[in-house]
Amino acid sequence: MAKNIFIGEILRNEEIRPNYFLMKVQLPDSFDEPRPGQFVMIRIAGLSEPFLGRPISIYSYSLRKSFVEIEFLYRIAGKGTQILAGLIKSSQVEVHGPLGGSYEVFPEKENIVFIAGGIGVAPLSLLAQYLCKNVCLVPSRMNFYLGAQTAKEIVGLDKLTRLCYNIQICTDDGSQGRKSLVTQAFAEDIKKYDPANTAVYACGPKGMMKALAGILGKGKFACQVSLEERMACGTGACMGCAVAVKDKQGDVAYKRVCSDGPVFNLADVIWE
Amino acid sequence: MKAKTFPQMAVQLGKLSLKNPVMTASGTFGYGEEYADYVDLNRLGAIVVKGLSLQPRLGNPPPRIMETAGGMLNAIGLQNIGVDAFIEEKLPYLRQYDVAVIANIYGESYAEYQKVAKKLSAVKGVHALEVNVSCPNVKKGGLSFGTDPKVAAMVTRKVKEETDLPVIIKLTPNVTDIAAVAAAVEKAGADALSLINTLTGMSVDLKSRKPHLKNITGGLSGPAIKPVALRMVWQVVKRVAIPVIGIGGIVNAVDALEFLMVGAKAVQVGTANFINPYATTDILEGMQNYLQDNNIKDINKLIGTFNAGGSSCSG
Ligand SMILES: Cc1cc2nc3c(=O)[nH]c(=O)nc-3n(C[C@H](O)[C@H](O)[C@H](O)COP(=O)(O)OP(=O)(O)OC[C@H]3O[C@@H](n4cnc5c(N)ncnc54)[C@H](O)[C@@H]3O)c2cc1C
Ligand SMILES: Cc1cc2nc3c(=O)[nH]c(=O)nc-3n(C[C@H](O)[C@H](O)[C@H](O)COP(=O)(O)O)c2cc1C
Ligand code: FES
Repeated sequence: MAKNIFIGEILRNEEIRPNYFLMKVQLPDSFDEPRPGQFVMIRIAGLSEPFLGRPISIYSYSLRKSFVEIEFLYRIAGKGTQILAGLIKSSQVEVHGPLGGSYEVFPEKENIVFIAGGIGVAPLSLLAQYLCKNVCLVPSRMNFYLGAQTAKEIVGLDKLTRLCYNIQICTDDGSQGRKSLVTQAFAEDIKKYDPANTAVYACGPKGMMKALAGILGKGKFACQVSLEERMACGTGACMGCAVAVKDKQGDVAYKRVCSDGPVFNLADVIWE
Repeated sequence: MKAKTFPQMAVQLGKLSLKNPVMTASGTFGYGEEYADYVDLNRLGAIVVKGLSLQPRLGNPPPRIMETAGGMLNAIGLQNIGVDAFIEEKLPYLRQYDVAVIANIYGESYAEYQKVAKKLSAVKGVHALEVNVSCPNVKKGGLSFGTDPKVAAMVTRKVKEETDLPVIIKLTPNVTDIAAVAAAVEKAGADALSLINTLTGMSVDLKSRKPHLKNITGGLSGPAIKPVALRMVWQVVKRVAIPVIGIGGIVNAVDALEFLMVGAKAVQVGTANFINPYATTDILEGMQNYLQDNNIKDINKLIGTFNAGGSSCSG
């Protein structure tokens, strides 16, 4: 029997930017080491509202002597995340996970490219952490493109600067880094990367990933993306978190973000 | 202190014998496998699998779900692998367990219901059929079969023609007089009834002025619907002689016991699985504890013991 629902204690829950929070939770050491891309369903134990858990990516993981610490980076998007944001240190949260599949890693590829929009930095940051620690990839091979509307929404940079040498920051209004869309910054650099020798990972708003699909074109670059959809069970039972993707025959199929994903090949995703 | 005896939990639903009255609700427990890591499936009274149709169904475009006060709306659109794939890929897995498997079936015509029923009756490992005449999400069929007593009775008769398995008709709450539909399907030969399916509802996003669900409307489930479900079960058990299975917003043992008290012989646990994957066995244990604490030796002694007392007129 899997025992992957835990009561965690909040060690820290801080507003690092307006509406953006960093939460650190202590869990028993029986919480499995997450693979990059995995998420948890987080609930407030005993509360009837929010009723369902909310899917949040695992942003960092550290195994301490007799317990585990994980971090979440989250944005207030509505009722559930608003309530999460109101929790104080030493309150309890229910953590179900780690859930879902993970990014496929290609240590042999020369270039690793990350493209993140806003809060999309969270799962990609865990991936960068994993590649450094578990695959011993040198930071110089990792190229991170981080974008947001304004400097206020650029989060997660402190951790990234310790993991990657090449970080390009873009904001829509130029308030930090370049004044450009993150996908545009990558498009300008694309010639630097040999498609056969580059792994691209992306997470961000739908518009960003759709634009990226256009830039990467058909099948030249292998690109994996993390998708989001509202969830109920998080375990593959309810079919609630469906996204449209192409199946092997090229027909439309609805796959579950929670258990078939959350990582998909960008080329398979069907955008509206 | 008196030694506690283990209460007798088995219930009989017509020809169908169940170890205990706790079953899973269709569409909320996948094909069983999805929860096998959490729940020892052998401990369940029965597993009701996701609704099966003749052909695989793609389902509705997303977003398909939305949380609402005390529950959720869903418009899955009956995405399922189809009856043939179920028999080939999912049933062998379920046969490993000592648990009653109830196949929930769905059709868009009488003929489709019949074909699905026939296929499932020809294989080993299916113990009963639950006929969904009530799914509110699909434009064709669905709602219309279950809302007209005559049509519901016809589906029952047609399915009965094709099978020797016990036939459970799952009723929709989206009707004016559920007891009338119940009486009609009983007369048509139904072996048992299950109720309720989801209540049709909707939810609007103020910012975009659009519905939260792509399908616009969806089925409401969860604690929010429990009082409605309980009332309907009570009305139906007064009207029919066949066993009734109570469904709707059951999240703990107290909820389940309330349904049994008003006369349900068994219960199904749905949305609760999403917030607590151990919900079914937690509920079962809670019921056993209640019986022990109250010195009730047999669950059947509790069923239908509801005392309505005074007037049943609200106002
Ligand atoms: C696998 C996965 C990982 C995620 N990781 C993170 C993360 O690390 N940090 C973070 O801030 N957010 C993350 N999200 C998004 C997060 O789950 C939603 O922002 C959250 O559920 C919104 O809940 P709410 O109650 O605050 O908002 P609601 O009131 O439920 O909704 C507010 C708005 O958010 C949208 N929304 C609701 N749920 C989701 C969802 N699951 N995905 C996308 N949009 C949604 C709604 O359509 C609505 O517009 C992730 C989502 C998924 C599926
Ligand atoms: C996501 C979801 C999918 C469902 N799918 C089916 C289905 O395929 N067939 C069916 O008869 N009922 C289906 N139902 C209805 C449930 O079986 C149950 O009748 C209803 O949810 C009320 O119970 P609850 O409040 O415990 O969830 C579904 C419900 C949900 C929430
Ligand atoms: S959230 Fe239930 S199947 Fe993905």
